[in-house]
This record gives sequence, structure tokens and C-alpha cells, in this order.
Amino acid sequence: MAKGLIKGLGITLNRFFKPKVTVQYPEERLPLPDRFYGRPEFYYDKCIACNMCVNACPNRVIKLETETVDKKKVVTKYDFDQQYCLFCGLCQEACPKDAIKFSKDFELTRYHRPDIKIEFVKPEMVERKKAEIKKAAAEKAAAEAAKAREQEEQNPAAGKEGS
Amino acid sequence: MENLFVNMASGMRSLLASAGLPDTATDFILMFLKLGAILVYILISALWLVYMERKVSAYMQCRIGPNRVGPLGLLQTTADIGKLISKEIIIPRCADKKLFLLGPILIFMPPLAVFAVAPFGKDMVAIDMNIGVYYFLAVASLSTVIVWMSGWASNNKYSLIGGMRVVAQMVSYEMPLILSIVGVIILTGTLNMSEIIRAQENVWFIFLQPLGFLIYLIAGVAETNRAPFDLVEGESEIICGPFTEYSGMGFAMFFLAEYANVVLVSVMATTLFLGGWHAPFGLTFIPSWIWFLLKVYVMIFLFMWFRWTYPRVRVDQLMEFGWKVLVPLSIANIFVTGIGKYLYQTIRW
Repeated sequence: MAKGLIKGLGITLNRFFKPKVTVQYPEERLPLPDRFYGRPEFYYDKCIACNMCVNACPNRVIKLETETVDKKKVVTKYDFDQQYCLFCGLCQEACPKDAIKFSKDFELTRYHRPDIKIEFVKPEMVERKKAEIKKAAAEKAAAEAAKAREQEEQNPAAGKEGS
Repeated sequence: MENLFVNMASGMRSLLASAGLPDTATDFILMFLKLGAILVYILISALWLVYMERKVSAYMQCRIGPNRVGPLGLLQTTADIGKLISKEIIIPRCADKKLFLLGPILIFMPPLAVFAVAPFGKDMVAIDMNIGVYYFLAVASLSTVIVWMSGWASNNKYSLIGGMRVVAQMVSYEMPLILSIVGVIILTGTLNMSEIIRAQENVWFIFLQPLGFLIYLIAGVAETNRAPFDLVEGESEIICGPFTEYSGMGFAMFFLAEYANVVLVSVMATTLFLGGWHAPFGLTFIPSWIWFLLKVYVMIFLFMWFRWTYPRVRVDQLMEFGWKVLVPLSIANIFVTGIGKYLYQTIRW
């Protein structure tokens, strides 16, 4: 009996001087595995509004709304209701342009329930995109007009014939 | 450094005498100051020991322990006590209100009263009583009554069971504790604690009474209700024993009193077995009171080491171990010590 008691004391004293295993969390962090799925990230400019992620999601977490500006789809809403997400990564796999991706951020707690839902698309982003499309369209139109004028100059007869 | 506190006391005495106070008044004021200093020491050391316990337990479990509040987490206990003070004191409807509230008030009394005879260093004893050891044992066992009283007054089955366990355990382990001390008393022939320390100038009694020390150590752990003998507040069995119904500062008082008792048992072990304030290996340049406190804290570390190593024993094992092993062993120790002393005397003289 006494032998076991002394052995026990030896073990605890040995541990006393051993390095400590504690990871002091907010300052120190353990490395996360490569395939870790944390908070999703959305790249607005990459998204082509193909709806693949919406269809891939088993829980219908993603709400995607679009608007057509000048024959081009613009994403006006991309809501990720995270409380229902099961982090399966199917949306990430489905996306052809890598527009949605899971980051390694696992601190998902929020003080208020509405804050859980992530609204990726901000109105100013939509405005910027629309402006970009219009500008591109205008430039294209201008370029086409210039091209047409050039053609007209080179071949006025053809232009007259056409009109 | 050696005579720091002694000089402080004599300086205070001469100051009061020069102020024209009569001798009795000077003595009274000085005694009051000494006891006040002891009270401050107990409270600070209780605070420190909670922190030390948490650190020691953490280190023995490969953890770090408290390190956030204050430098190295030193203010953790202060913050905890502050929290407990600010909490509501809940009194159960069916409890005996007066006794219930009296418990935490009185629990600090026995340790404080006993510290009055503890020799903290050379000539550093508040009251040099000629029956110091007897006084220590008599007053220290009073805390049993107070804990039992709180358990009874709570009017809760767990508290009552805990209270009964306190009585059973204390009475069973008081026996070997006292009998293990008798060996030392046979050797010195005195109950005065300063005299006992003076008798250990050449050899500490741990070397003359190893069995006595071992029995004292085990019984001391049981007396302070610490693991592996913490049946009184065995959380998995009876929640928190007699302290179940206490909240806020009431609980904090019991909590701190537990550590005061640990200090007490360690002080006693240092005095009786570890040579008190005598310096080992002739290292006399370190003041005697530092040596004393050093030994006390080594003893306390030993108690903490036990606590974080051993699992709790069962009630019947506890009683069997106390009555069938420790008591016979301590009686045998007295017998051997007596014969040894008789032989020594007949050969020498």
C-alpha cells in the first residue's frame, strides 16, 4: 500500500515540473486543419449569379436575388443564414467561380440573434457593380459607334448603301 | 532583520511608556497589537494559500492556473472574495437563523485563538504559555463544534450528514494526533512551545520521532478536512457538507477558515517536529522567523501535494484506518519512546 502512495506522490511531483499543456486561447491558438470549415466568405465580384450554391445547399441556407441590368445579372442579395448551416461545404464545391469559400474563423458567437445571419451584399456594392456595368456598356457602345464611324469613313459607299 | 519584529515591539513599548501610560495599559495595548498582527497574518496567508492551492493543483495537472487577475494572477483570490462579499446571504426558511449566522462568525475564532501561542521566531510569541501544546489541542478542537453547529442549523440533510461526519472524523483523528505529540512531550518534558523548540537545537524531533511525525501528518490532514480525508465536504456525496446552505461571505469565511486551519496544523508540525525557528546546516544569517515561515510553507505544500495526489477514502476505511492503525501505532510509539528515554537515562546516569 505504502509503495503505491509514494509512487503517486512521485507522479504528481514529476508533473509539477513538466511543461504545461495549456493553450491560452485568445492569445495562443492551435493550428487548424486544412479542411476546416468555419465562417463562409463571399467574393462579390467573382459571383456570376448562377444559383448553383443555392441549389446545392441541403438546408436552403443561401438566399440569392438578382437584377438584370443591361442584359447582365447583378446580385442584389446574398444572405447566408448561418444558424441553419451544417458546414458541409457543398456550396463551395458547387460554385464554378470559387465565389463562396469557408474560412478558418470559428468564432461564430453573436450577442443578438439577427446578427447570426450574414448579409454579404451591401447596397453600395450593388450600386458600384451597376455603375460598372453601365460604364462598360457605354464604353462598348462608344467603341462600337467609333468602329462604325471608321468603317463609314473607309467605305462611305457601303455605308450609304446600308442606309 | 533577525530582531525586526522584536525591536518593533520593544520600540512600541518604550514609546507608550514615554507617553506616560501605566504598565498594565502598555501591556494591554501591546497584546492587542500583537493579536491584530496575527489576525492580519492569518487573513493574508489564507488569501495567499487559496492562490497557492490553485497554482499547485494546476501545476500538478500540467496546467497554468490563475494568471489573469493582477501580476501572475496574484489578485485572483482578492477578486473572488470581493465577489463573494457582494453576493446575497441567503438564509433558508427552516434554518435556525441565529445558529446559522453564528457559524461563520465563530469559525475564525479557534484558529485565531490558537495562533496566540505560536512561536513565529526567536522570542516572537504573542503569549508564552507554559501549557501551549495543551492549549493548542484544546482550542483547535473547538472548531468541530462550530462546524457541527452550522450543519445542524442549516436544517438540510446533507448539512446534517456532513456535520455528523465532522464530529466522527475529528474525534477519531484527534486521538492519534494527540498521542503522536505525546512522544515529543516525553522527550522534552514540557508543554511550552518555546521550550520544545529550544530542545530541538541539536536535532529535530522528526529524526527522533519519525513515526510520530508520520502519524501527526496523516491525522493533521484529517483534522483539516482535506483530501484524501475530505469526507466532510465530499462534493460527490453530500454536496458541500455543513457548508451547503451558506452563500456569499458566510461561505467565504468557512473557506478561509479551512486554510487558517491548514496553517495552524503546519505551524504545529514545524514547532513540534521540524525544529521551529532553528536554522538547519548553521544557516543562521537568515532570520529565524523566515526559517519558521519557510518550514510552515513546506509543510503546507506537502498537504497540497497529498490533496492533489490521492483520491478520497470511504467512511468505513477512514474509521478503520484511524482506530485500527493510527491509534495502536501511536500508542506503540509512546511505549517505545518511553522505554528509549528510560534506557538513555539509566545508561547516561
